[in-house]
Amino acid sequence: MLIAAAVLFLLLRLLPGDPANALVSVGADPEQIEAARRQVGSDLPIFAQFVRYLGQLASFDLGASFVSGVPVLEEIGRRLTLTLPLTALAFTGAILIALPLGILAAVKRDRWYGSLISVISQLGVAIPVFWIGILLVTAFAVKLRLFPSSGFPTSGWWRDPLAALHQLALPILTIALVMSASLIRYVRSATLDVIGSDYLRTARALGAGYGEALVRHGIRNGAVPVISILGIELASTLLGAVVVERVFSLPGLGSMLLSGIEQRDYPSVQGVLFISTLLVLLVGFAADLVQRLVDPRLRGPSGARP
Amino acid sequence: MSDATPAFAPLPRLRLTPAFLIGATLVGLHVVVGLLTLIWTPYDPTAMTGGRLAPPSLAHWAGTDRLGRDLFTEIMIGARIALSVGIGAVAIAAAIGVTVGLLAAFASRAVDDVLAATLDILIAFPTLLLAMLIVAASDGASLGTAILAIGIAASSIVARLTRILARRVLAMDYITAARVSGTGWLGIVRIHVLPNIWPTLIVNFALQFGLAVIAEASLSYLGLGAPPPNASWGRLLQEAQATVYTAPFGAIAPGIALVSLVIGLNLFADGLRDVADPTRRRR
Amino acid sequence: MTASPVRSALKPLSVLKATTTATLLLMGLAPAFAAESGPDATINVGSLYEPQNLDNTAGAGQGINEAFNGNVYEALFRLNDDGTVSPSLVKDFKVSEDGLTYTFTLQPGVTFHSGDPLTSADVKWSIERVTSSDSKSSRKNSLKPIASIETPDEATVIIKLSSRSISLPYNLSYVWVINDKAKDLQSTEDGTGPYALEGWQRGSQLAVKRFDKYWGPKPENGEVVFKYFTEATALNNALLTGAVDVITSVQSPDSLAQFKDNPDFTVAEGKSTTKLLLAYNDRVAPFDNVKVRKALARAVDDKKLLEAVWGEYGTLIGSFVPPTDPWYVDLTKTDAYDPESAKALLAEAGYPDGFTFTIDTPNYDPHPIAAQFLQGELAKVGVKVEINVITANEWYTKIYKAHDFQATLQEHVNHRDIVFYGNPDFYWGYNNPKVVDLIKASEEAKTVDEQTEKLKEANIQIAEDAASNWLYLYPQIVVSKKSVTGYPLNGLNSQFFAYGIKKAE
Repeated sequence: MLIAAAVLFLLLRLLPGDPANALVSVGADPEQIEAARRQVGSDLPIFAQFVRYLGQLASFDLGASFVSGVPVLEEIGRRLTLTLPLTALAFTGAILIALPLGILAAVKRDRWYGSLISVISQLGVAIPVFWIGILLVTAFAVKLRLFPSSGFPTSGWWRDPLAALHQLALPILTIALVMSASLIRYVRSATLDVIGSDYLRTARALGAGYGEALVRHGIRNGAVPVISILGIELASTLLGAVVVERVFSLPGLGSMLLSGIEQRDYPSVQGVLFISTLLVLLVGFAADLVQRLVDPRLRGPSGARP
Repeated sequence: MSDATPAFAPLPRLRLTPAFLIGATLVGLHVVVGLLTLIWTPYDPTAMTGGRLAPPSLAHWAGTDRLGRDLFTEIMIGARIALSVGIGAVAIAAAIGVTVGLLAAFASRAVDDVLAATLDILIAFPTLLLAMLIVAASDGASLGTAILAIGIAASSIVARLTRILARRVLAMDYITAARVSGTGWLGIVRIHVLPNIWPTLIVNFALQFGLAVIAEASLSYLGLGAPPPNASWGRLLQEAQATVYTAPFGAIAPGIALVSLVIGLNLFADGLRDVADPTRRRR
Repeated sequence: MTASPVRSALKPLSVLKATTTATLLLMGLAPAFAAESGPDATINVGSLYEPQNLDNTAGAGQGINEAFNGNVYEALFRLNDDGTVSPSLVKDFKVSEDGLTYTFTLQPGVTFHSGDPLTSADVKWSIERVTSSDSKSSRKNSLKPIASIETPDEATVIIKLSSRSISLPYNLSYVWVINDKAKDLQSTEDGTGPYALEGWQRGSQLAVKRFDKYWGPKPENGEVVFKYFTEATALNNALLTGAVDVITSVQSPDSLAQFKDNPDFTVAEGKSTTKLLLAYNDRVAPFDNVKVRKALARAVDDKKLLEAVWGEYGTLIGSFVPPTDPWYVDLTKTDAYDPESAKALLAEAGYPDGFTFTIDTPNYDPHPIAAQFLQGELAKVGVKVEINVITANEWYTKIYKAHDFQATLQEHVNHRDIVFYGNPDFYWGYNNPKVVDLIKASEEAKTVDEQTEKLKEANIQIAEDAASNWLYLYPQIVVSKKSVTGYPLNGLNSQFFAYGIKKAE
């Protein structure tokens, strides 16, 4: 974690540009630019900046944004109240869509609806997120007026969950659609693996029905790669919703990172990356745990080593 | 080399599903068009030959943009750019990703743990954001930077998948048997691991190819991809977005080109997978 | 207003209402305060320019002028929407015979939002905040002539100058008057304006509510919420679907079609001060050669570019000065479009076969499209253009600070910013001693007429030197719901006075 922090710190400082630039405007003279650099500390040597940063990290202080002056941790906390539920809901939706459809597409791949599912999922993978978002907004917000086109209630979730859900319906749908499109492909792929496998044929030879064999043996075996994909998808959606956030003007974690990078607001960038790294490790750990539960062969301490 | 599981056999008993054929045709079309632009285009791509936002006509099949340039010409060149981005990015991702993934799978527990954790962290960074950082770090946006950035960003996903797949294979009983019979780890990789994991990897490469094309479009959409006047589809879409109400065709045509290429790639890979799957071949 | 959340989930319009109510509840306000229309209405303003923080001396960006100038903070003078300057917190003022001493009498009965009364000490503190060494205000330079500020009594401020400064009232219109006891001005405020800050949700919106102890006329609405968008299409959709009432400036002519033909909306065109220009680095060859600059000005058909970007909107300009400035002169005939004479001039300057140069191009609209247009136009006279796309942040480091460029595209938003051509150290490096003297002398002028005369002369000289290549003046288009009226049209310096906005039934 410490090494990651150091690497990150150095990488960010290698970017051309200066955080002080976000604070000046056309008309500023050299004296004012120097004042801006003093304020953000970019006039110090890199080593001194790094020592300062480590000191802050040690006390779990992520610093304050160079640009807005707000403590980074506070800002991240507020953005997480949007990002976490958005991710969780979209993720749940994607699983609910992708699991049954993916298995169906594999098992019934010779039927027309099996192929249809594949075709639709392919379409879903091929369309850029911003296009789907814009289409949904045009259809459901501008034409049908069913959902708001953008934004998020200032009151957050808890005062009026239904209103918040209503406001977020389109972004959730957008992410869920994109995510499930690629998930279906993985589920289908994993199911095909299972269907063609020896143990399934063995089970069937021993008298189990096709469905029963698939459920008893298939899910365990097929689930392992799918779970790891799920873990990746979940983790990357935390930050990866940035394009969706842009289309729907949502104040999420991804847009905080994006504007942080644009403005060279190092404390914000470092803070977001630090927190999201923690979250990702957590998700990865959980995925690993689930995999081990599902597939006993992964439990042995050295089973996979040469 | 063992006869039972040759590593990269030519595709025997090729079952040409309609999906595969459609995919191959779509990709082939884009390749032909992309190659054609090297020697011929209907118009000079930078020449302002028509009116502002002219609708599709016989002279301009896809209409013109705000500067009166022929959109069909730009979309054709876009195919070339998309294909080169895809090929370059996937090659980079495959080279880095498969190597790192196999190393992790075979390495000692401690090394594996460190690699796995690093990959987890890198993956937290969506391809697009990592690519944006790399583009920001380089001196100005260019096509090469975009390819490199997308390739590097995608390699962590390939590496992680390779590691997981390889570990699954290594947990099989026949690996223990092979080890007992004295096969070295390179031999195990060649005879057992690669043949077993490459169908899944191919599916992933095709996906990554498509994702790379989308990522380049998104980067260009955000103004970080190939700089103008390179006719990237993403840039065409971005420029057309402002005029989507008065000239919707400008936003639709590059989108269709983009989607058709990505779908073609995916169908192609799916067909390839159904054929190349060793478990199916053994039947 | 009191619709239950469950029911309202079925009806989008009432959800909006319920949401606003919830917001107000959270802010600790009585729900009765917010109204759909009438004198207590909430006005939702859609904008692309979210402030970065709330302090205009700490790099908050143009968004803070839009939200706070005249709304939350007032200054001694106000720059009106028509470009005139009138007293605001100043009741009366006197200028000494030599023009070096200004005596201001403050408005009586003015209170800050915190409840403290306005005194001369607050004014002194506020001005010194802008002129201090830590200030990052772009206006700092223009206040340099201030030698001292005296406060003989609570209602009187005396400013002594080291040299005459005819634009002092104008320049003071940028200096917010802030309570000298205020702290943490980056995230809170303590001004005297008709609205007080209610809440700011970064990345989303900023709300101000009517300040009941305001000394001036009562605003026509109860609350103003600035909603921020990163993307113009999302902003347009928000107006179409009723999430915002008015858009401060529309950035694409083609999105206007959906509002123009719709009886539910008003499309109004004001006058902007935003100029798009190709700025050369006048220090380096070949752009240190006037003939080259003039040739390039003649090689570009500005009208065609304006039409490509803005359709039927926008204005052509022949120099840096927009028609709303008093020293405007129609200079569009100077170095008008004439590719043949451009070629001749290039040959005369020693470039018969043209040359190659790079345009550093910001990565946001309209710069990339303009760069491509220039590439096409200049190719016709044999000049080859490379386009290098950079971010706004890089632009400051590479071009503004390091002057490491050949030419760059940039939009300049400020009002009365011809003075930049009087600074040889400015990024474009234009240095004509005659212009430097004229601009300096104009500031020390005794009368406005004299100032105008001098700046006109400078303006003509700058155009004659083709100091930069001025492409066009942006249009300023405000779109609102039909029921919403009373908003400012010109938005000078990005200001958006909200107190006059009315929302009818």
